[in-house]
Amino acid sequence: MNGGAQSNVNFDTSEIAAWYDADQGLIDKKIFVDPKIYALEQQRIFARAWHFMCHESHVPNTGDYFINHIGQDPVIVARDDHGQVQVMLNNCSHRGNVLCRAEMGNTHSFQCSYHGWNFTLDGKLKSVPGHEPFYRGKLNKDCWGLTHAAKVEQYKGFYFATLDADAPALRDYLGEVGRIGIDQMSVHGELVAVDGIQKNIIECNWKIAVDNLYDWYHVNVTHRSAMKIGFVNPSVMQPMQQTVLLGEYGHAISGPGISEEQQKVLDSLTDEERVSLDAMSPDERAKLAPRITERRPIRPANMKQEMGPVGVRAMGHPNIFPNLWISTRALQLSLRIPRGPLKTEVWWFTFMPKNYTDEQRRIAMKFMSHSFGPAGLFEQDDGENWTYSTKAALGPASQRQPHNLQMALGEDEVREDPSGQKSIDSAVNEHAQRWHYRCWSDWLKAENWKELIINKSVVPSGKV
Amino acid sequence: MTATPAVTENTWERLQIVDRIELQYQVDQFLYHEAHLLDTRQYREWFQLVALDIHYWMPIRRTVTIRNIEREFTRLGDMAFFDDDYKDLRMRVEKFYSSSSWSEDPPSRTRHLVSNARITEWDGNELSVCSAFHMLRTRLDDTSEQFHGRREDRLRVNGQSFLLAQRHIYLDHTVIQATNLSSLF
Repeated sequence: MNGGAQSNVNFDTSEIAAWYDADQGLIDKKIFVDPKIYALEQQRIFARAWHFMCHESHVPNTGDYFINHIGQDPVIVARDDHGQVQVMLNNCSHRGNVLCRAEMGNTHSFQCSYHGWNFTLDGKLKSVPGHEPFYRGKLNKDCWGLTHAAKVEQYKGFYFATLDADAPALRDYLGEVGRIGIDQMSVHGELVAVDGIQKNIIECNWKIAVDNLYDWYHVNVTHRSAMKIGFVNPSVMQPMQQTVLLGEYGHAISGPGISEEQQKVLDSLTDEERVSLDAMSPDERAKLAPRITERRPIRPANMKQEMGPVGVRAMGHPNIFPNLWISTRALQLSLRIPRGPLKTEVWWFTFMPKNYTDEQRRIAMKFMSHSFGPAGLFEQDDGENWTYSTKAALGPASQRQPHNLQMALGEDEVREDPSGQKSIDSAVNEHAQRWHYRCWSDWLKAENWKELIINKSVVPSGKV
Repeated sequence: MTATPAVTENTWERLQIVDRIELQYQVDQFLYHEAHLLDTRQYREWFQLVALDIHYWMPIRRTVTIRNIEREFTRLGDMAFFDDDYKDLRMRVEKFYSSSSWSEDPPSRTRHLVSNARITEWDGNELSVCSAFHMLRTRLDDTSEQFHGRREDRLRVNGQSFLLAQRHIYLDHTVIQATNLSSLF
């Protein structure tokens, strides 16, 4: 079921506005199953937003390619002869057949398996079998190259693409919160992609897979077994100190945070002291710095400059709207790719800092290969929750009952640091989930980028 | 156990046919026995068959062209679905008994079918065995899945039976068409 994403759908703005009630924190369940709403998301979110394509180290050499998706549109990401990263629709310009059928590799050119049209690494139509005898030399090859993404840009080696020429520059799109999200990864130093992307299919709506990454309420229940078997310690499962950052266009960071007092303790430490703290067991650490035992790694001193005095305290999960999650240890990225209203393909990319010792690498790989992905000791237990939260909306009576996102609604305050950075410092909450759906609604209501830029929600101040 | 030729040399090809048949029979019975333990949810009993130096590994398979076929599977040390030592595997086993392992409570119904077991090496103490598996799984009321592929095992003589010292699992799937891999292979 692909949800008929290709056909244009139109809804009244008032109808769209009713799907998410921001004042009450209530979601109309049909947004998780309705094929027409899914089609609208494809047009107004996926065909418009910036999407993570790959890291520079996924395609280091000329001819390296990598298949990704922008919503329902398959794309080829390739390093061309000039060293540029190209993003092109993975459809032959002749009859639309999928051009590149491998998910990765290295090639000189892309040849279609249907009639043999052959394209260069930057998408030009190079040769057409039978051009003289059959086309009588009349096909203008210059007009039949591959369709390129409207823009391809990178931030710190992470390549993004958008299909909409009116999209703002990537840096502006990410905004401060999106950039802090990626900075959580770049804080580790120069990164190299680890070979192998875990991919699996979950029968759920993509939005449920996304909003779950902000959800620190489920951790202690859904993932209790990971704690019981000793994979993680209880303080990691539900840290009481939470810091939420909300960003324009729907980006956010939500989860554990470092309080201002804890940050003061950290600020007094040298980088060497921070590294040695990281290496300690939680008990050893507690003796030295009783209030900073919950999260690690501890960021080096210069990151406060880079991320700002508030950003540096955010240790939770960033999501780059719509569907790019930067995970716990900030060495993994996850895409939640919509494959129809009731189907999501979950991808896990893994990175390793170049400067890691073998032992650091071993420890990091051990944690990452056992946390997420379909066999992950955490993620094994997520999928069915998402599947049945999605499918609940299929029954007419069940559908009338909204999803409840009311936790801490109206109870917390957005505080603005003298630097201008804003955060909500609180206990476990659902502020980021509400922000996600509020912005999702903005995207769907806007006819185009211009409207979205004018009408998008402003990051709130005061009570939230 | 059967004949005990010189250690650390692959003598499988040189064994008498009758010794080969006996060894093959013992290997088959071991593979069926552990499949039975997994399918009857006797995970701790299954874990008794695991050697302390186990490497339990399932690399990621990719769709690649024949030109790039050497990259079909991720390599040791790169990302994998499973990359477990004894302690890791024990966590997976204990997870079944943790009373909050929702992916397995209600539990899956699995059927491990194992065939085509070929002994490729035998040094008097350890065997290399390559087998094909087809694992069928149903969950709750509406989920039916299947996993199939090849296993490359190392079995070590342990009294009248074996210990599993290596299980490398090469799935036939690239994108896993399942919510999770909460089962053992």
